[in-house]
Amino acid sequence: MTKNKSGIWSFFSSVQLAIVLLSLIAFFALIGTLVPQREAAVELAGRMSPGLFSFLQKMQIFDLYHSIWFFLLMGLLTVNLLICSLDRFPMAWRRFRLRPSPQNENAFKDCPRENTIHTSMDIQKAADIVADILKKRYRRFDRKDEDKGVFLCADKGRFSLFSVYIVHLSFLVLIIGAIIGAVFGIEAYVNITEGEMVNAVNLRNDNQSLPLPFSVRCDKFAVELYESGAPKTFQSDLTFLKDNQVIRQGKLLVNHPIEHEGFRFYQSSYGVAPGGKATLALLRDGGRRDVINVGAGYTFELPGKEGTFHVLRMEENLMKMGPAIKVVVRSKKEEVSFWVFQQIEKILETNPDIIQQVPIFNPGLFRPYTFTLVGLEEKYYTGLQVTRDPGTPVVAAAALLLICGLMLVLFSYARQVWIRIDRDKDEVRISIVGRSAKNKAGLEREIQYLLRELKDNLENAK
Amino acid sequence: MINTTILSWVTFIYFAAFVFYLFRMILGREFWGKLATWTALAGLVAQSVALIIRWKTSYDLGMGHAPLSNFYESLIFFAWTIVLLYLLMEWRLKNRSIGVFVLPVAFLIMAYASIAPGISNRIEPLIPALQSNWLTSHVLTCFMGYAAFTVAFGLGIMFFVKKATGENSSKTSIFIRRLPSEYQMDELMYSSTALGFIFLTLGIVTGSVWAHYAWGSYWSWDPKETWSLITWLTYAVMLHARQVRGWRGQRMAVMAIVGFGCVLFTYLGVNFLPSLHSYMT
Repeated sequence: MTKNKSGIWSFFSSVQLAIVLLSLIAFFALIGTLVPQREAAVELAGRMSPGLFSFLQKMQIFDLYHSIWFFLLMGLLTVNLLICSLDRFPMAWRRFRLRPSPQNENAFKDCPRENTIHTSMDIQKAADIVADILKKRYRRFDRKDEDKGVFLCADKGRFSLFSVYIVHLSFLVLIIGAIIGAVFGIEAYVNITEGEMVNAVNLRNDNQSLPLPFSVRCDKFAVELYESGAPKTFQSDLTFLKDNQVIRQGKLLVNHPIEHEGFRFYQSSYGVAPGGKATLALLRDGGRRDVINVGAGYTFELPGKEGTFHVLRMEENLMKMGPAIKVVVRSKKEEVSFWVFQQIEKILETNPDIIQQVPIFNPGLFRPYTFTLVGLEEKYYTGLQVTRDPGTPVVAAAALLLICGLMLVLFSYARQVWIRIDRDKDEVRISIVGRSAKNKAGLEREIQYLLRELKDNLENAK
Repeated sequence: MINTTILSWVTFIYFAAFVFYLFRMILGREFWGKLATWTALAGLVAQSVALIIRWKTSYDLGMGHAPLSNFYESLIFFAWTIVLLYLLMEWRLKNRSIGVFVLPVAFLIMAYASIAPGISNRIEPLIPALQSNWLTSHVLTCFMGYAAFTVAFGLGIMFFVKKATGENSSKTSIFIRRLPSEYQMDELMYSSTALGFIFLTLGIVTGSVWAHYAWGSYWSWDPKETWSLITWLTYAVMLHARQVRGWRGQRMAVMAIVGFGCVLFTYLGVNFLPSLHSYMT
């Protein structure tokens, strides 16, 4: 690489910039967890001066992760990473191509005395023993016989030179995947009431309606509870239709999305939909009994024309006492409102005084009637998250690449070993030195191992 | 329940192991070191047995899930991974001096799990969001990462303890002299951080795969996700600074402590923020 690089190039190829950018991204992410984002920010608006709020909104503080600032940081990091890798790659490539030369006098300058062995053996014979040991442990091995002595070298793990580029590449792939997702993906939701059908979903970012190329019907929604009252399963039975033809049916559960024509459906929430039905029995003093079906908001005249009866609310489980509906009865003289429970006998058994204590729990509050709730059939809606993200496989590939790259970066290492066999006075001297950028402790152990092995083999050869 | 009884005993066993490691450092006799190792190992075995019993009990109760589903279980598992990882390191490196800084963390976590109010040690059934095969791999990898970072944190503290008491001289206490050299501590900090980084990456990846199946998006900037990213970036900065800028010793120790702060916030602090990850109660 030429030395006279432009200022911009050296700015973007510096690791300091990468460290600063990583720290800044971490800082931005931190702010985003402290300041309410998106929908949650609406609550803040009330407690803040409108001017400040709209200023912060313009600065995209309430949607930091999709703000121009965040994209800018990501963009800078991408450029930094790219230039950094391009800048350093040629050197790594040259180091990869370069076979270490056996003759490396410089390396032996600092060779400590402990890393040398003296023997009375002939130079060539000693060199053969050394070569045998090296060949056993290293695939790449080189030998040079000179007048001064014999030089050997071996190395391994050259591929680890590229591991860091795999990690950097994985980040670039990740960014590409995220961009594909942002451009071509959709994130939407839809609520479907039991028995009803939809053919469009609402986009999350601008709340516009997006038509689907098919229709979805929710046949049934069910919640199953544990004995403790905690939810066990949420399940929607969905039917997919095209031109009024059923093309697919399936059960949708949390953690088990359904994919259909590129759209993925997730069970995300549920709720009580309007339109539930209650069955009510009216017992008039004197024995006349009427059964009537009502819904919330329903009004009718009492059979004896004493007044009008209006259903206010329906609760599936009021204060853990089972199904109940709240009604109001209006007559010329009075207006009384009270709750009608389904399990009134059971409630009275466990708490006989409840009607005295809480008069609005008395189903006979309007004379001369006593009301009983025979049954309550609620209607649910299921809340579905609908997404399409063609970037997901790209992101998954990036994740795989990242893990492999990191393993190589952190646990693989390149190592070179040089051995010189020369004459030192009237003895033969064997010196071992090595080089490893990442694993100095391992290199030290390796040299110790080679020394031990060498001593043993020299002993045996005598 | 038998498993919680064993676990409260394990708390004391870890405390004993810590005391023995301390004796080794003060009295300078390797007898205490060996005793400490065996005590910690006994605690680990007892804890493993308790976890297996708890696992089996959950099947007997008809719930059938790994003991990783609520705050109590996550604390217990955190302590377990810390001791496991520490003992592996001690065995590999033949060095017992880190124990005195790591075992108290495991002990405190165990004690917190059993003493702190509002932490239920009951085996509870899984809510729908947690009913996934990814639960075990996600929690396992995350906590292995947390444990490795805890060891790095212990080393960081150790580094400053040694630094604060000055250089080796006849006056420095035997405790300080028995600590590894600054070079060794730096190397160990790096190795444990590197290990933690791999596991954290695996934890984030398994988490996003799970999120892809559960929430409809591999990444949704939920506070816990975001904080795991902050933690990841902090350690990424630390590793880059070391590899390329040549940061060593004190700077590494500072980063190990800051990083551990991020880990704690990811694990605990996030629960004070509204999150999809609210499985604490």
